[in-house]
Amino acid sequence: MLDNPLAPHAFGVGGWSWRDAAHLLRRAQYGVSPDEIERATQAGPVATIDRLIRPQAESAEFTSAEALLRQTALDTGSTANLQAWWLYRLGHSANPLTEKMTFFWHNLFATSNEKVKDVALMLAQNDLFRAQALGNYAGLLHAMARDPAMLIWLDGNANRRRHPNENFAREVMELFSLGVGNYTEKDIQEAARGFTGWHMREGVFWFNASQHDTGDKTVLGVKGNLDGDSVIDICLKQAACPRFIAMRLLKTFVMPEPGEAALAAVSASIRRNGFVMGPVLRELLTSRLFFSGEARGSLIKSPLDLVLGTQRALVPAPRLEPTISRLSALGQDLFLPPTVKGWEGGRLWISSTTYLLRANFAAELTKGDLYGQLIDLEAEARRHQLQTPGEATRYYCDLLLASEPAQAVRVRLEAFASSAGSQAVRDRGLIHLILALPEQQLM
Amino acid sequence: MSANRRIFLGRCGTAGAISVGVSLPGIWRGAIRAAGNQAKPGGRVLVVVEMAGGNDGLNTVIPFTDDAYHKARPTLAVGKDRVLKVTGQVGLHPRLAEIRALFDDGQVAVVQGVGYPRPDRSHFRSMDIWHTARPEKVDLRDGWLGRALELDPRALGGGVPALALGTEKLPLALLSSRVNVPNVQSMDAYKLVAGPGDSSTQARSRQTLREAVALHGASGSEGGAASELDFLRRTADVTLTSVDRLGEVAKAYKPGATYPGTGLAQRLQVVAQLIAGNLGTQIFYVSLGGFDTHSRQQPAHEGLLGELSGAVGAFLKDLKSHGLADRVMVATFSEFGRRLAENGSLGTDHGAASQMFCIGAGARGGVLGAHPSLTDLVDGDPKHHTDFRQVYAALLEKWLGYPSEPVLGKGFKPVDCVKV
Repeated sequence: MLDNPLAPHAFGVGGWSWRDAAHLLRRAQYGVSPDEIERATQAGPVATIDRLIRPQAESAEFTSAEALLRQTALDTGSTANLQAWWLYRLGHSANPLTEKMTFFWHNLFATSNEKVKDVALMLAQNDLFRAQALGNYAGLLHAMARDPAMLIWLDGNANRRRHPNENFAREVMELFSLGVGNYTEKDIQEAARGFTGWHMREGVFWFNASQHDTGDKTVLGVKGNLDGDSVIDICLKQAACPRFIAMRLLKTFVMPEPGEAALAAVSASIRRNGFVMGPVLRELLTSRLFFSGEARGSLIKSPLDLVLGTQRALVPAPRLEPTISRLSALGQDLFLPPTVKGWEGGRLWISSTTYLLRANFAAELTKGDLYGQLIDLEAEARRHQLQTPGEATRYYCDLLLASEPAQAVRVRLEAFASSAGSQAVRDRGLIHLILALPEQQLM
Repeated sequence: MSANRRIFLGRCGTAGAISVGVSLPGIWRGAIRAAGNQAKPGGRVLVVVEMAGGNDGLNTVIPFTDDAYHKARPTLAVGKDRVLKVTGQVGLHPRLAEIRALFDDGQVAVVQGVGYPRPDRSHFRSMDIWHTARPEKVDLRDGWLGRALELDPRALGGGVPALALGTEKLPLALLSSRVNVPNVQSMDAYKLVAGPGDSSTQARSRQTLREAVALHGASGSEGGAASELDFLRRTADVTLTSVDRLGEVAKAYKPGATYPGTGLAQRLQVVAQLIAGNLGTQIFYVSLGGFDTHSRQQPAHEGLLGELSGAVGAFLKDLKSHGLADRVMVATFSEFGRRLAENGSLGTDHGAASQMFCIGAGARGGVLGAHPSLTDLVDGDPKHHTDFRQVYAALLEKWLGYPSEPVLGKGFKPVDCVKV
């Protein structure tokens, strides 16, 4: 369909629109506020993607609040406080794409504090994800083999010369770099021998030479006295590796079922850029594929996208505690992925129970101040001249939905808005209704 | 396959016109059962109980006369004098007292030696195999019960044809590309919270939402965003419908048995309540987790078997008091059994073949098939002699009245665990 899916998108006659800016920001960060869309519309596509990819200075307020939350998490050793720390970053950092990619790595190298039971180690791993968020995946994969939280999570210390433990070696291939079908059970057994003696002692990586198997191993056709690093280098050389990462990127940022052309193009970009994510993302997030009609509104929001995204648009100072518990009910506890496969996402986020929770979140958010005060709806109406029910419906649909709703939906929303009382009551009810729609679950 | 399905749908149409009363003479009841069944008030119900984690089948139905059993399990074997003997060779675990009483009453089919070829010892994969009934290939698009529901014209028409209770996610077994099944994690939380405004605003808001979610249909086949939206609308529609229906039926029910305070018992009580309320739901799905007993197995496993037995016992007693016992069959399964030999930490590791229970007035009471040999092992595990899909075939064809071949992909000889 598209010759080169990653060719830069040519913005048509009207140029870069408000809607294009909203699409990019919804995908590159957790939700978007009206001001952010305005600013990005003014700034244009190049400056907007630049701002997302180049490191931006954090505000003094952010820096001090972040430090306080970080210290609290470390002092208390509580997972909830650790979650609060990261949620604050996800919602308030001046580098939202960096935070989103930090989550991308957390979901790829899914490590749970359920087993690690050490907030400091989980935090250190998270900092590593952040430092390499837009950096080098190859380096990150090597670092994971020595990461203390990962060593606890996948039983590093149990991997001994005479009794290899395959846990880490299996996941390196199955879940971290290649995917099922690109290696054999024998490759895993041999790779596990390469990681023998890669242990942890007193909270840091320790090469336990007496437990390392120095014999010859054959992994994916390469033979020699392979150690952990050489096993990882062999994985990185496989054609399946950039494809594996490309698929994750496409499903996270672009569409639920990318075709072969898209997969091949992103995979080639990853290889060309030596696994450095910044340039790959710049290409991907400005591509024809990304701005195609097929991609827009095609992703089912994760709980983070839904909850943080809605707050970003409507609640200027969201409360962290109820946010954490709502995310938990919806199935997304940060630092506590359900399994080493991470959160599988897509349609699996949606069931009757979670749909109700999503709709009920909309009710709680608009009814009281459980999650924090809603934006001032009267001021909003004055600023954007929302006088008629039609104007209010259009404005809030544009702000809150990824795509224009079908005519049949818009007509019903307008009819609802027409029958409401005062402007503020009308808009509050309208926002609630839009947030409860199936359309709201897409971005 | 399509000819099969046409014949079935034709039969279904006829059966649908007959109303099934609980006071019919037995001879008539049998005839109507044989004519098929579908999701409708007064129809037959299947309750699937998943025992997640890999239940130790060897300590559930115990080959107490076999020396190999006692030898392989020096600390975990249940003594001959403690087992609840049901034949000369096997007995139930002492904590299965309620199930033993039902067995004595001819209401429990113990299907022994159930498994599948080339058993997978991964929880994920083996559970997927049991849910999809596809051991040969990884294909997670739908589950065996979801595919069965697709054969029922009434399920395709909406309503609540099946329901998962107490599960965080919809079990894969109930997944279908065309029928949406609700999952209810907790009845108390299964409510739509009203939005802002006065009660008339709230009512209009709810009505608008109902109309907006009902807009699913043909657009879903196009792929991309349209198909995701269609999926979301269908899920939302079945969710709002089930919220209303569950709210209505739950009111009049009074339990006819004292349920234990366990999680499984509470979930089965809700199932009884919904059956009594004539929700028209044909398949219920509940799960009991914790069977992955690698270490210090004994207290945990005993507790879980006690939970299963107490819950099922109360459930059937309750149904009987409501005159519903004839309509309901409980079927249990686990993703695998456990090794014959205990491990070094007073537990057992992942195994293969195990047993299934079919419990209810419609079950063919007795022990079906031999206990697998404890000396002829594969990788330390007893071998299966009965494919789990043979039990599925019996539940589909003989109990629910669905043809099993289109669901299971090929013909399986049904195990004789259901009275016809």
